[in-house]
Amino acid sequence: MNTVIEVKDLVKEYGKSRAVDRISFDVKSGEIFTLVGPNGAGKTTTVEILECLRKPTSGRVTILGYEIAKDEAKIKKRIGVVPQEFNAFERLTVLENVKLIADIYGRKGELKSYLELLDLWDVRNKKFKILSGGMKRRVGICMAAVSEPEILFLDEPTTGLDPEARRETWGVIKKLKETGKTVFLTTHYMEEAEKLSDRVAVIVKGKIVAMGAVKEMIEKHGGGYRVFTKVGGKEVEAIFKKYTDSIIKVDGGLCGKFLGKRDAAKVALDLYSRDIEAEIVEPGMEEVFLSLVGRKINERGEFE
Amino acid sequence: MRNVWIVFKTLVKDWLRSPTGVFFSFLFPVLLLLIFGTLFGGTENTRYALYIQNLDVDESGNQTNLSTAFIEAIKSTECFDIKPLDKDVNISAFVKNQQTIETLRFLVIPDGFEEKAINKTVVVRMGIIVDTLVYVINNYSQYMNASDIANITMGKEMLSAYLNQTNATSPEVLLIADEHAQSTQIIKGIIYSVSNGFNNQLTGASDIVIPKSEDLQQRRWRAADYYLPGYIAAFIMTNGIIGMTTTVTEYKRNGIVKRLSATPLSKRDWILGCILQQTFLGFALTLLMIGFSWAIFGVRAIPDLYAVSLIFIGCVLFSSIGMTLGGFVKDIEAANGIGNAIGFPLMFLSGAFWPVEVMPSYMQTIAKGSPVYYFHQGLREIMIYSEPANATISFVVLTVLAVIFTLLAIKITRWKDL
Repeated sequence: MNTVIEVKDLVKEYGKSRAVDRISFDVKSGEIFTLVGPNGAGKTTTVEILECLRKPTSGRVTILGYEIAKDEAKIKKRIGVVPQEFNAFERLTVLENVKLIADIYGRKGELKSYLELLDLWDVRNKKFKILSGGMKRRVGICMAAVSEPEILFLDEPTTGLDPEARRETWGVIKKLKETGKTVFLTTHYMEEAEKLSDRVAVIVKGKIVAMGAVKEMIEKHGGGYRVFTKVGGKEVEAIFKKYTDSIIKVDGGLCGKFLGKRDAAKVALDLYSRDIEAEIVEPGMEEVFLSLVGRKINERGEFE
Repeated sequence: MRNVWIVFKTLVKDWLRSPTGVFFSFLFPVLLLLIFGTLFGGTENTRYALYIQNLDVDESGNQTNLSTAFIEAIKSTECFDIKPLDKDVNISAFVKNQQTIETLRFLVIPDGFEEKAINKTVVVRMGIIVDTLVYVINNYSQYMNASDIANITMGKEMLSAYLNQTNATSPEVLLIADEHAQSTQIIKGIIYSVSNGFNNQLTGASDIVIPKSEDLQQRRWRAADYYLPGYIAAFIMTNGIIGMTTTVTEYKRNGIVKRLSATPLSKRDWILGCILQQTFLGFALTLLMIGFSWAIFGVRAIPDLYAVSLIFIGCVLFSSIGMTLGGFVKDIEAANGIGNAIGFPLMFLSGAFWPVEVMPSYMQTIAKGSPVYYFHQGLREIMIYSEPANATISFVVLTVLAVIFTLLAIKITRWKDL
């Protein structure tokens, strides 16, 4: 796969504060690459530098082979952007807003396929301001996609949406990937990063602390499978000890850690055979983040 | 230019669907036009209320002929709504029962008005005869024989002796009005004028200097015509400066500018599109104001090609000033404040609503430094006096400023790091 985004030693400073601190990464064509981290980690600053909306303090960035410092106009013609807290002309309809962007890109032809792809055809004549939050985000993605960009930058596209609207948006992003587009995503939702991404970079305080394919990251930093019981006691502990020495007490019950799924399943079956309820928890990006950073992120994107 | 047109179309559509935007851009100036138009160039003649108390009545209680004639002379000016006041009414008591005194005016015709007027008329006429006889003796005695001269001299001396014995006083009509009210001076002037005419009639003197007046309509223009260019200039200015500053700040605040800046749309095209949209609104506003002025005030000033060109340049100038202000203002409250702080003083100091000549001299200097002054002066030269050559300075000043502020708006507006 070709490299479509190349970032080397990127730094962005606001006065004395360093928002992005010598980060480097690259993004391959056709993949969904996610920059995940808490609020204030430098995600938006980074993505806006890639979108040519901010000037970097130092470092080198190339998009589709063009340097952002020299070829801004060429880059903008080939990328699509959904900014954080996206908005459109509120009194214009969905179709008018999408057509506006199509016109700016000089794109001729019908827009129906894009509106249908994003499930917006039925609401095309509704004014933007009366749409739900989820629909507004879809309009934003449609406006970004209508120029047929090679790379789509989605800056926190699901922040503030309810779970249902968030899942709808995920479906849309997956559809876009299926059309062959490269997607650069930022989010503070670990589940989103895990469900959508091919590769993930974890960013904290302007620095990338880990990067790689989602599966590899989970295997490497996820801390294995965990089996939880609601009750404790010597009998339960004895069962756990048959398979692992890593046992901790949690809320009156026990939690055992297992490297493989097989061992976790065995202990769970053993517990069930003695009428003891057990729950297997697979490791995910949340565990990866916890293991790497030592703290969790809440729904609002802040450290707990 | 294609993108400028795209931005223009979008903004016009967005604006047309905003009821408050339409209200403040169109209806608000039209309402002010109606108010100012009525105040400074209204459709009707002003008539002042005037109570007349005639105390000059005969034994039967009927008003004397001369006092009635005097009242008729006042009526004939058509400046007053005359309300007769009974001779028994005590004016002081009457005034005490009124809530406001500014519009209270009384003209009291005294008892003996007719008698005194006749006596004074006789005395004045005799005085004229004496003066005439003196003039004849002094200048024409060489053409007369001695007996004629003696007869004339005797007649003059007899009349002089009679005049010396007579103590005829003039009847005094009394105007009671609030001396602080602006209208009082006007009313005094009218009453004096009527009195003079009445005196001339009584003494048989013919008018020597005759003031003539002509309806301004015969010279084509009415007051509303004169003020219309000022209104147009002032409202294009407020729409440009206040409207544009708040609009672009709002687009910046709600993320639309950032969204557009991520596309191939250039900052220059965005700004030119905004200015073009505001120019369109300016023209629409001009048409509306002329339409209203035509329908309500009967104005006849219609912009020609020169006026249209100057309006275009004015729209560009004030929109570009608005864009420049919007370029560095961050929040909508500040945009409103700065737009009003600049727009309103410019509007009232420019002389758009009243001639700058009535202002103190230092204010006149400030007014003449305002671009709105050049705008409405230029429009007035073209639309009222049909002298486009006299608007050359206006064209030059506005064009230079329009170019400067458009370039400044492009320079100042941030398209990155929003």
